[in-house]
Amino acid sequence: MKVLLVDDEQKFALMLAKRLELRGIQVEVFFSGEKALDTVEQGSRFDVAILDVKMPGIGGIELKRRLRLLDERMKFVFLTGHGSKIDSTTGALETENYLPKPLQIDVLIETLNRLAKGV
Amino acid sequence: MMKILNRLPAAIWPRFHRNHDEHLNPYYTFQDYRQTWGMTIFILMMTALVPLVVMTLIYYQLIETSINTESLLRTERLASNARRAVTFFLEERLAALTFTVNEMDYDQLTDPGHLSEVLRNLKLGFGGLTDLSVIADTGTQVTYAGPFNLEGKDYSNQPWFMECQQHNACVSEIFSGYRDVPHIVVAVKSMRPDGRFFVLRATLETERLIQTLSSYNTGEHADIFLVNRNGLLQTPSQFYEGESHHMNIALPAYSDRTRAMMSVDRNGQPILIGYAFIDTAIAPTSFILMVVKQKAGMMKVWLDLRSNINWFLGVSAVIIAIVITLTSTVMVNQIFQADRQKAETMVAAERNCQLASIGQLAAGVAHEINNPLALINETAGYVKDLFTIKQQYKEDPDLIEHVDSIIDAVERCGTITRQLLGFARRFDVQTQPIDLRDMVADVINFHKKEAEYRNIAIHVDIPETIPLIETDRGKLQQIILNLVNNAFQAIDDGCFLDVRAEMVGPEQVRLSIRDNGCGISEDHLNKVFEPFFTTKKEGQGTGLGLSITYGLVQKLHGNITVQSKRGQGTTFVVTLPVQIKKENQS
Repeated sequence: MKVLLVDDEQKFALMLAKRLELRGIQVEVFFSGEKALDTVEQGSRFDVAILDVKMPGIGGIELKRRLRLLDERMKFVFLTGHGSKIDSTTGALETENYLPKPLQIDVLIETLNRLAKGV
Repeated sequence: MMKILNRLPAAIWPRFHRNHDEHLNPYYTFQDYRQTWGMTIFILMMTALVPLVVMTLIYYQLIETSINTESLLRTERLASNARRAVTFFLEERLAALTFTVNEMDYDQLTDPGHLSEVLRNLKLGFGGLTDLSVIADTGTQVTYAGPFNLEGKDYSNQPWFMECQQHNACVSEIFSGYRDVPHIVVAVKSMRPDGRFFVLRATLETERLIQTLSSYNTGEHADIFLVNRNGLLQTPSQFYEGESHHMNIALPAYSDRTRAMMSVDRNGQPILIGYAFIDTAIAPTSFILMVVKQKAGMMKVWLDLRSNINWFLGVSAVIIAIVITLTSTVMVNQIFQADRQKAETMVAAERNCQLASIGQLAAGVAHEINNPLALINETAGYVKDLFTIKQQYKEDPDLIEHVDSIIDAVERCGTITRQLLGFARRFDVQTQPIDLRDMVADVINFHKKEAEYRNIAIHVDIPETIPLIETDRGKLQQIILNLVNNAFQAIDDGCFLDVRAEMVGPEQVRLSIRDNGCGISEDHLNKVFEPFFTTKKEGQGTGLGLSITYGLVQKLHGNITVQSKRGQGTTFVVTLPVQIKKENQS
């Protein structure tokens, strides 16, 4: 499984990537939406994208819209620092896979596996 | 009844208990309600009573002037009439004597029988004569007709005889003479064929004269009498009858016609005097006719009426004063109560706003802490992973790095918590030196994330020359937070916020917060500081933020102004003293 991780909190993103890699997941980390978009535009393909909702520049929701245009099969998981109620105001749909920070790694892994299997 | 009596002292001297709630003071409309109350009463009293008193005094003046004029006129008319009567009385008798000496010669007159006949006829024709006598040029009485035997008496030294020689006729003062009975002598001089002269003399009864005068008398407050030119009474006087027989008034100046004037007698009593110097066509006299009226007696009716008017005026004034005092007390008290209620509402609203901003702050802090917590979570999780998945922890130098990362993230949380504690300290009311740069930075920090997400450029320009300002930390922080919040709500994504400070003289610092957001329309601009004014949808804004900010700036002895143009942005300018004067602190 190949995962795209985009979060402006650099240390957090790197640490999460390490933990996912320890679990045998291939992760590519980006600290901004623009960089991630460039990479996908250049042809890189990922099974699942883990996106932070709130980021300077292109936010998670907008990034998902643009990535969808490039790769229809890509699945998405959103991360946010807000509680679920506040999150509804940021534009994340309730049907999306949404995980609050701090993360529970087992839940993330489970979600990733579910998405990768196409459920 | 008892209730009303119990409430009376409060109405007369109401208590406006504002000093007990000092925190409410900035929201009161008036500084001093007792002063306002006093001023209200004073102005109302003046407005009501001054015209009343002035009109009454003018009325008194008019009435008194009119009474005085009328009295003088009447006194003068009375004196004039009496003068004519007295003059006529004397002239008539002088004329009769003149007629007699012209009609009869000396020999006829010196005949005692004839003289008695003449006396009888004169008494019949005119009356008022006592006796008649012929006096030779030597002053010796030659013939006498009458009740007394005065033949042979020498009159050469009598003043009337000497005057008669001079003026051909005379009227004496009233005197007692040889007979010891008060009488007046009238005499005329005539020439004998041999060139010598003789005098025909008649004695007049004073009774007739006194009766004539008293017939003109008009009541108990008026007196009419004759005096001679030395002020000695000639006829009885109601006011001045005494041992001295002098009237108690200075002699008036000579005048050939009747006069009336205001004066005072020697006791200082105000009086009205009418007088006339009496001269007959045939001979001058030494009589002065006096009409004296006591002003006090004459004015009594008016004074009684005036006293009644004064009573009425006094009672009315007291009633007006009571009504005004009660009304003012009720009104000012109601204003005071309303202001107090308003102030309490404002303070409560301020407290609510503080709580709301704390809630907002807590949410912001929770969000801020979430990121470092997420990092702690991942790092600690990773360390755990190293233990459980990799089994190589002992030799791994990476481990220290990750533990450091945990410590670092905890430190980040600590920073945020410290900021929160610093912010919470705004409930203190003491003043302390505050670095405006730090404070603005603190407040901006809470909005940093939002600014990043919304792409809002925040530009802070606070020169280092701005000194530490001595003020209330919490209140200043809330002022800045409210204004920055306000700006953030007003601007769209991609706009800018500009915070700058500068000195205004050595005593004041000016902080301006400018945005290029939607701006405020002109008709709303003068209302933005009013409580409960909001342009937001119902339920979204209380309309208290700027009103409370305004109150807080007032509390810090500063002022706040706003400039705005619709579509171009808004600038709030807060001017604060570098040091709050201790004695003014509330």
